[in-house]
Amino acid sequence: MAAAGSEQLRLWQEAAALAGAVCGALGPRGGRALLLRPTGEAVPTRDGRRLLEALSVEPPAARVMVARACSLRATTGDGAKSFVVLLAAVLRGLRAAGGGGAGLRRALRDFEAQVLERAAARGLRRYLRPAPPGLLEPLLEPYLAGRLGPGERRRLAQLCAEMCRRCAPAPAARPQVLRLLGRRFAELHAAVPGLPLASSRVLPGIVLRRDFAAYCPADGELRAVLVTESLRPTLTAPGVEFVVDSEGQYQASLSWITKRTEALMKHLRSNNIKLLLSSVKQEEVFIYYAKLYGVSVVECLSSEEMALISEITGVSPYARFGDNVDREITETAAVTFCQPLLLVSKRCVHIGFTSVSAFQPHCLILCGPVDGVNEQHAAALQEAFTMLQQLFRTVDQREEWKAEGESQSQASDDCIWPSSATQKQLVIENTCKQVSECQLEALSDERERQILDPDKSDLLVHNQKNHSTPVLVAHNTDTVSACECLHVGKGLGETCCHIVPFKQGESCAGIGQDYSNCFIEAGSVLPVGGYFEILLHYYIQDYAKQCQQSEVSIVSNMVADALLSVPKALYGTAERNGFTKFYLEAINLLRKNQPLPVNSEGLESAYCKYQLVISVLRCVTELLSIDLVIGIRRPLQKIEDRDSEDDS
Amino acid sequence: MSRLEAKKPPLFISEPLARDAVSQSLSVLSGILKSSYGPAGRLKQLHNGVGGCVCTTSQSSALLGHLSVSQPVLRVLTASVRNHVSRFSDCGLFTAILCCGFIENFRSLNVAPFTVIKISRHLLSLCLDHLKSEACGCRVSVDFSSVETLACLVRSILTSKPACMLNKTEVDHLTSLVLRAFIFTVPCHVETNAVLGKCVIIPVKGSRVMDSAVFPGLLIETPEIQLGKPLAVKRTGSNMIRIALFSVSMSGDGFNPEEGTVAVHHGISLEVSELNQLLSVGKQLVKDEVGLVVCQKVMHPSLKQYLKENSVLAVDRAGLSVMEPLGRMTGSQSIASIHSLSPGCYGTLKDLCIQSFASKHFLHLIPEDTVFCSLILCNRSETAWDELKRVCETAEHVLQLTVKEPLALLGGGCTETHLASYIRYKSSSLPASTFKDLDCSQTQYQLVAEGFCRSLESVARSLSHDGEEILTDMVYGHSWFVPSGSPCVSKWSDLVSKCGCGVNDNTEDLSWRFLQGQSGSPVIQGCPKELSPKVADLLTLDCFAAKCSGLQVALETANLILDLSYIIEDQN
Repeated sequence: MAAAGSEQLRLWQEAAALAGAVCGALGPRGGRALLLRPTGEAVPTRDGRRLLEALSVEPPAARVMVARACSLRATTGDGAKSFVVLLAAVLRGLRAAGGGGAGLRRALRDFEAQVLERAAARGLRRYLRPAPPGLLEPLLEPYLAGRLGPGERRRLAQLCAEMCRRCAPAPAARPQVLRLLGRRFAELHAAVPGLPLASSRVLPGIVLRRDFAAYCPADGELRAVLVTESLRPTLTAPGVEFVVDSEGQYQASLSWITKRTEALMKHLRSNNIKLLLSSVKQEEVFIYYAKLYGVSVVECLSSEEMALISEITGVSPYARFGDNVDREITETAAVTFCQPLLLVSKRCVHIGFTSVSAFQPHCLILCGPVDGVNEQHAAALQEAFTMLQQLFRTVDQREEWKAEGESQSQASDDCIWPSSATQKQLVIENTCKQVSECQLEALSDERERQILDPDKSDLLVHNQKNHSTPVLVAHNTDTVSACECLHVGKGLGETCCHIVPFKQGESCAGIGQDYSNCFIEAGSVLPVGGYFEILLHYYIQDYAKQCQQSEVSIVSNMVADALLSVPKALYGTAERNGFTKFYLEAINLLRKNQPLPVNSEGLESAYCKYQLVISVLRCVTELLSIDLVIGIRRPLQKIEDRDSEDDS
Repeated sequence: MSRLEAKKPPLFISEPLARDAVSQSLSVLSGILKSSYGPAGRLKQLHNGVGGCVCTTSQSSALLGHLSVSQPVLRVLTASVRNHVSRFSDCGLFTAILCCGFIENFRSLNVAPFTVIKISRHLLSLCLDHLKSEACGCRVSVDFSSVETLACLVRSILTSKPACMLNKTEVDHLTSLVLRAFIFTVPCHVETNAVLGKCVIIPVKGSRVMDSAVFPGLLIETPEIQLGKPLAVKRTGSNMIRIALFSVSMSGDGFNPEEGTVAVHHGISLEVSELNQLLSVGKQLVKDEVGLVVCQKVMHPSLKQYLKENSVLAVDRAGLSVMEPLGRMTGSQSIASIHSLSPGCYGTLKDLCIQSFASKHFLHLIPEDTVFCSLILCNRSETAWDELKRVCETAEHVLQLTVKEPLALLGGGCTETHLASYIRYKSSSLPASTFKDLDCSQTQYQLVAEGFCRSLESVARSLSHDGEEILTDMVYGHSWFVPSGSPCVSKWSDLVSKCGCGVNDNTEDLSWRFLQGQSGSPVIQGCPKELSPKVADLLTLDCFAAKCSGLQVALETANLILDLSYIIEDQN
């Protein structure tokens, strides 16, 4: 017992140290951290994930906490800092409760099933409202308030909302477009250092950050082709020997190459192609003929830019078919305009494409005094797209599932979706369960391997297939696989490993609780500013009273108190007694059963918040279940694919 | 064996701004910048202590580019100012001094950074709205029908950098050269999209400034040309000179490095074959009545000789930088193949002549109608020439920015003091709803506004370096300088003659006050008055776009720095 006590003390101290480190950046009044990279770059940030990773903590348990916080952030786009603060508070409460044995661990699990679920379903749910479909600013502004300085959030929220609206004029297409925006944001924005933020703007079309190799002004609609190889014929090739018999033959061959290049250019021009987008550098002769024949050329496009253009236009790269230059070129993209764009002092390429999907290509020009600020803004916006995507997810899934109708026959019993998208509220509870199970499965068992992969946009569809019987899968999880999944999920566990002997019946925490989520729909929102925590705190206490098991009620009270740590931290930096005032006002409203005040600050996703609470409880259970840390020599293989867009 | 080195733990510094080291470095930096500001600014000598050249300068781009700042907080500041300078060329010191001032003034307030940032943003928007409104008393619209306002703008820039070592006549001469050069770059026939040309600056160091000159068209340095002989260039039927531009090497060794192998039989020389090809190109050029051949790279001596014999002028090693303007100016397409010549590639020139400066000889290419010109810039010493070149480039850039937005701001500190008095007046008469929106009290707002105004005034104060007193008037809010050591007099109007920008004089009583008042500056009773400046009286003007952007960048950078609650340094 004494050993368990010291263990808990250590856990709490580690969590508290992490919480202390991120606390200064928490909430709308939080400050920024300046990360200094070994290269000398200085990047301001308030992103919890970057902060936690920059701390590069050593103790294995703390690394687990950081990994869990980051994985939550990767799925919901938010909450890494709150995660750590809440985790520290729960661990502190546990220590104060003096428990740590199997009893308390079991009580934690029972609490989730018996109390938390009910509190969410019967208490919290009444206060939820669906996200306003058209208005994005009320959602974006509070989100960005946790990410950016006080002077920047409004302008960026406007830009972000404008970008969403212009890229997806039809609200129905929004989830799909948000996914694309999140994935391809690096190519869909251009950063300009040295200008004030107010100069940022959204432009139609896309901007390629390089100059034309050849620019020939052309009016009106034109065609473009994508090229991935050098289009000038060569004398020799790797492994090919060219034998020169006579000087005349050599000159004739060189002259043939030139003629051939010219013929190809003529051919392109006769197909009305006036723009060539090449991923490789083209020969000088080729550029020369392009200029002569009035074809604009852009070279050295990155593979991401090529992929984006292919995705927008549905065109695949043009291949030179041996010597047959006369073949008709079918893979051409329609271009509405193509012009140089002067981004203050650098000339860039600005192209408007006719899109084949619902995505209307637009590009964001981000201005800020230094590169670091632009980087922070771009990262915040990209995560905002993830957050919005999460919010509109229910609608999204339904459409995808509908599309895959036949193949989903085994699941179709549960998946009878209302045909009209407007009948969102009529979701049958069963289907809700299905959704949440999938998401939880992905969270707890599959780990971040899939979720973190930004390119797997259709992740949930896969999960649905894999886990059409999720409860069964979960129950089969035996000790060994539980251990495995623990390692898989660990991004940081490279030099040490943790062996966790699970007891029977305690195996994966939260198997039975998967149902709890269905009470909070993904699209539901609450006013910001700590109302979620207060509501949950109030109703947990309410339901804890009805609970017979004493240990569960201890845990309930402890979690209820710990929940208050987040609003406390939010109000801590503001005026004195701010929290007490807010707490009393809110509790009074709840007692009288009055609706929450409509506050001007905005809304936040209740779903993400609820995910946060569940993740913290899971993490606590996981940490408490570890009894031995074993150092090993070989580094563990890193299997998962990390959130690549943030790793820069 | 894998090399596993223990990672060093990161360094965690909380509240970086509260540290002494940061505030000391900040005051050193702001001292350096303030002492360099303005026409009377002190020069800084930069050298690395182990020999090499010494740079004497008072320009922000040179200063900040060479200083190695170790404090990460200040690195953000200098990076931001350098970015601003790379965008606008002008107002670098203004931005830097203002930013330092904001940080120093706001940090000393006992108000949370969150609130300071919100309020200062609001103050900035008041400033910008004022600057953009017609009623703004510190801006003038630039009249392009006369040259006077533009000349004033250029002269202000030239005189603001004393390291150029110019006297009055030299300033006047250069002002007219820079203006003429700029006017050359404006196209005569404007279509829908007017594109400005370019002025190429050609260095001639060690000569008198008065020898500087500007020429329409381009000058190409040609060391080989013999001065004595008259230029005999073949002309076409319409008395024009046909020009061919080659971007490909004409040296005869232009084998393309390709993958794979080329096997050559014994007795066959590819070099000879190449040379024959080159000579056949030469024949073609002669046949096409080309008078001038310019090659970016090297030309084979035999080809050169052949062209010379056929009275075709050949210039090689022209370099990449000349190719683009040359192509645009002559309407020619640079040729990238020696295997086929298309007649459409040739361009035309009106005339050719030779110009000599000091010991250098140039071929002067005179086109029919051009947006390109060459500025021969002379100065006595290397370091003064470098400074002068940057100043001339700044002036050209400022003129371009002014064409886009035909406005200018009053210089000499008047814009800063005027804005400060405007903000003082405006912030005392805000409705209560503003404070509610900003979530702050009126006192907090007043405190931040005072810090904001002091920062602006500190820029105006930096213009004085010899202990001159600075006054501001209570009518227009301009700044006035009293020479140091002036006797005590009862009336200020006996001491001051003209305000910093030169618009106002001492004829009417403007109720002057000290700018440096410790007890807080007095608030004028009304909005600072607008006046219609007589252009002839103006002394100094500043670029509108650069100053507006500098003001915003300074505040955004200061806010970013004030918002820092900790620094995490990766020590690996």
